[in-house]
Amino acid sequence: MAEKTIQLEVKRQASPNAEAVWEKFELEWRPGMNVTSALMEIAANPVDASGKETTPVTYDSNCLEEICGSCAMVINGKARMACSALIDQLEQPIRVQPLTKFPVVRDLAVDRSVLFENLKAVKAWVPVDGTYDLGSGPRVFPQQQEASYPLSNCISCTICMEVCPQFNEATGFVGAATIAQTKLFNAHPTGKVYKEDRLRALAGDGGVQECGFAQNCVEACPKQLPLTEAISDVSRDVLIQKAKDFLRA
Amino acid sequence: MATAVRPAGSESTPSIGRGVSPLRAGEGNSFLLRKFHSLSGIVPIGAFLVEHMLSNFEALKGPAAYGAQVKFLNSLPLVRVLEVCFIFLPLAYHALYGVYIATRGKSNVIYYPWAGNWMYTVQRWTGYVAFVYIIQHVVRQRFLGTELPVHPYAAFHKVQVELSNPWMLAVYAIALLAVCWHFSYGVWLFAAKWGITPGKQSRKRFGYVCAFLGVVLAVMGLASLWAFVGGKYPNVPEDVKPEQSLVIGSANAGNVQG
Repeated sequence: MAEKTIQLEVKRQASPNAEAVWEKFELEWRPGMNVTSALMEIAANPVDASGKETTPVTYDSNCLEEICGSCAMVINGKARMACSALIDQLEQPIRVQPLTKFPVVRDLAVDRSVLFENLKAVKAWVPVDGTYDLGSGPRVFPQQQEASYPLSNCISCTICMEVCPQFNEATGFVGAATIAQTKLFNAHPTGKVYKEDRLRALAGDGGVQECGFAQNCVEACPKQLPLTEAISDVSRDVLIQKAKDFLRA
Repeated sequence: MATAVRPAGSESTPSIGRGVSPLRAGEGNSFLLRKFHSLSGIVPIGAFLVEHMLSNFEALKGPAAYGAQVKFLNSLPLVRVLEVCFIFLPLAYHALYGVYIATRGKSNVIYYPWAGNWMYTVQRWTGYVAFVYIIQHVVRQRFLGTELPVHPYAAFHKVQVELSNPWMLAVYAIALLAVCWHFSYGVWLFAAKWGITPGKQSRKRFGYVCAFLGVVLAVMGLASLWAFVGGKYPNVPEDVKPEQSLVIGSANAGNVQG
């Protein structure tokens, strides 16, 4: 028997409408373990702490190095990436549950498609698709590159939305990630062709005005995006856009 | 024939419709309502709060000076129109829409006890305190009892009687601190949310400015409360006359009053 073990509690749910139950696991300790690797161990040997056989835990993960944004979950009460949640730095028993503001698909896997819908709503892309070669794009000066790079680090993990007190079913707030991407694409010399559309979209219900500036997003963001700065800048741009639209109408 | 047949049990596949709804791009009026709520907290409500604190501060100069200030305010042109348009209506809007905003937020400061999150939560609590306090304050001091617009020199007496109840004094002190907090953090929020202070440094610097503003207003307010209960002007009568302040302390004060 292993000398050192770790205690893990996982909130499980068999289907979207099934009742959630907590299941306890005891795993052999290994050096450098993180929550995703612990979940892999369970998958390899799906037996709970009492020795009863169970099913492997369903969860999203991909890159295992905090760059894909898949494995966001609530670990010991805080939303964070499971791959960078090192077991040795966590208080045990480690309680793992799915993100609380997104519909559960199964176990720790949640449906985060609302972020994709929001990014589509603000046209968070650079429109360069075409049937012929458009040649090289306009230059982006190094100063702008410096400003844009941190915003381009967003991994769509939705942690900024999970921790936001305003992101809930009552407000339908768009969340910090989409606002930051609006700033990023508005600053792009080709992307800014949609700038006015993006700003008008963000003045809709659930738009940038719903932000309560609790600043949890910027605290929790695993990629340290300057989210509050983006919200402030985009809020001003939206306001100016609305004022222009009002006067030009 | 390759007809697509859904596998058994697929009716219960996850429905995308649940959860937080996506952005309603460009729809609705909440942007305008929210911005007006934000602005109304600065002007006219914040401006009125500053005026109110300055006017109350006159109480430190005594009942006659306080009465003179009340008289001055009530002698402003179209004062009743000003009162409705720049105090009552904006205040009612800010209060009601503010409660609507606060009830829709789901505070999670227990799980994420960070400074900004605390400020978010306290801004809502102080808003609720102000909501309840201001209703009773306006009803009892503006609409019940002596009509101060008609008898401005009765103001000191009216407030002093109100504050003679220690419970009411505590209510005033607590509400005063809550309102000063709500206003000064509100100014900070305004600058942050309207894109005036987007940078981390600028928000921090402006935070000191707002904290200073809040402390000054709170200290002025507490000092004004002291003027009524501190014992310097005990049992002020309802019919203070403006001349009285000129002769107060002199031996023949009683004779002058006749």
